[in-house]
Amino acid sequence: VIIRQQTEIAELSTPVVKLCQGVLALPLIGTLDSARTQVVMENLLDSIVRYEADIAIIDITGVPTVDTLVAQHLLKTVAAARLMGADCIISGIRPQIAQTMVHLGVELNVVSKANLSDAFALALRRLGKVVVSQRRAVPADPA
Amino acid sequence: MDRIPILKLGEALLVTIQVDMHDRLAMALEQDLTTRIVEHGAKGVLIDISALEIVDSFIGRTLANIAMIAKILDADTVVVGMRPAVAITLVELGLSLPGVRTALNAERGMAMIRNRIDDVDAIIQYENEGGL
Repeated sequence: VIIRQQTEIAELSTPVVKLCQGVLALPLIGTLDSARTQVVMENLLDSIVRYEADIAIIDITGVPTVDTLVAQHLLKTVAAARLMGADCIISGIRPQIAQTMVHLGVELNVVSKANLSDAFALALRRLGKVVVSQRRAVPADPA
Repeated sequence: MDRIPILKLGEALLVTIQVDMHDRLAMALEQDLTTRIVEHGAKGVLIDISALEIVDSFIGRTLANIAMIAKILDADTVVVGMRPAVAITLVELGLSLPGVRTALNAERGMAMIRNRIDDVDAIIQYENEGGL
């Protein structure tokens, strides 16, 4: 039962969300260990093929700690996605995490954005898409 | 010994790897491709590895080599259709193929090559018109 629970939790904890045509988001929540990052990586790569995605956004807002191992796993995922022809953007790195990463000497040579919306904006710009606010024109006052 | 066919599509060369690569086949491909790039003055090389299920470090290095050779001969290499499992293997082997451009499928890879050829044409035209 416990093993089945573990596999189910592992499956539940790595959702890949399609944001729009060609853009995927991968919101990561909770601590990343090597087994989980493996699942994350496989899920992401399969989804890239399935949705024919150009850009994948890895959002680590919900990741409490990033050590060298996790950073390395992230880099591996990014490298693998690049090999398949998709770009990765990392978003939602918390201030403390940014500090620890610099202190640990971890270098993420990838595009990173402060939050998911910035990352999404960048993704749209790269695909040459724009978001237009579609406010109804207020009908002119007859008077 | 069988060889991997190399097709010419305009100014690009198309290589589709349909069988499992062994070392000698990879080396033959490297050699054939080099000769063909020079022969046709190709500006782009598209390598489709969507049917390739197993790669080892040698095949990975050969791909990187081909890209480097092509770059010296003024051709762009795009590797397309890599499977997730293959991508993971290559990364675990420490081969992230930095000099190789990648695309999700052959269609997008071809678009990348065509863009590049168009860019080069535009620059040549610009220079012919006396530049500015």
